[in-house]
Amino acid sequence: MKRYANAILCLAVVSVAFVARPLCAGEAQPVKAKASAIQVEMIHSDEIKLPAEFQISLYENLVRQLEKQGGFEHVYRDGDRRAKDAPDLVILHSTVRGFKEGSERTRRVTTVAGATSITIHCEFKNPDGKVLLEKDVNGKVWFFGGNLRATYDFAKKTARMAHDNFNSSEHKS
Amino acid sequence: MKRSKFLVSFTMAVAFAGLAICGANAQQSSKPDNKAIALTGLPGVKDDAKGKLTVENGKLHFVYGKKSSDVSVASIEDVVTGEDTQAAVGKTVSNLSMAAPYGSGRFLALFRTKFDTLTIRYRDENGALHGVIFALPASGAEPIKKELLAQGAHTTVGEAQAAAGTAPANAPSKEQKQ
Repeated sequence: MKRYANAILCLAVVSVAFVARPLCAGEAQPVKAKASAIQVEMIHSDEIKLPAEFQISLYENLVRQLEKQGGFEHVYRDGDRRAKDAPDLVILHSTVRGFKEGSERTRRVTTVAGATSITIHCEFKNPDGKVLLEKDVNGKVWFFGGNLRATYDFAKKTARMAHDNFNSSEHKS
Repeated sequence: MKRSKFLVSFTMAVAFAGLAICGANAQQSSKPDNKAIALTGLPGVKDDAKGKLTVENGKLHFVYGKKSSDVSVASIEDVVTGEDTQAAVGKTVSNLSMAAPYGSGRFLALFRTKFDTLTIRYRDENGALHGVIFALPASGAEPIKKELLAQGAHTTVGEAQAAAGTAPANAPSKEQKQ
């Protein structure tokens, strides 16, 4: 009887250990780099011809989404002289890597074709030019909305990425 | 009998032709009303605000409701119309669906009409770059662009087209897709 109880106890300890391990791992968050301000550079599209509307829409949406949910104290635009004095500045360079302009009409009629997709390589650098984070971000509009919605999708994803990887307050990092 | 039928149909044809000519003349003589939709980027203006766009006294002036917003023409670095874009990229992007706010294009596109776009880049007093997109009635962007250029704004379109002319191998339709 005692042996049976010991076996159950061992089994319980092992199972608790197995359950607790992934939970502990889930609590560990990636270390966020400190950045109180971000400067957004104009989207570059040297290799891929991008309509001017898309370029401006990408830039404006990016600035807006970073202000909304990026978690930075200041969001500076391309060329803003005030960014020079900002402590812990991060500069966001974005380069268009892929662009497929779909058709809203096709999306509406077929619901499976006509998606607009844009792929942008984002590099977060410090003022010395050292790359802190780089990733390709994709913006898409599948079913509803005009083609420019792809730029909104991209901006939201990028702002979320910035929020997840950078932190403006010292005590949290 | 035949003659009276011929007279009736002839009179009707003349009447229709007269109406059509009057309509065309009215269209030609009416001044552009400069209606525009500020799609995005204009400071202090909500996206998709409807108003009137004019160029006066060295300023791009957008009036919507009882409010207005100005951009100094001298600070404008680039002016691009939808037609410029079409020429550069090789695909029309100036449909009404572009003018619609996110999502509502689905409904508006049922009444698809050609729209023109006017895209502007300018710098504020801190040197910060701003971009503004306006949607205008078809062929409405070009006159405003001309006025802006006449009053001191800049454009990169001529440079880009010149570059495209020197390097014809760069077919834009191929470059678009990855």
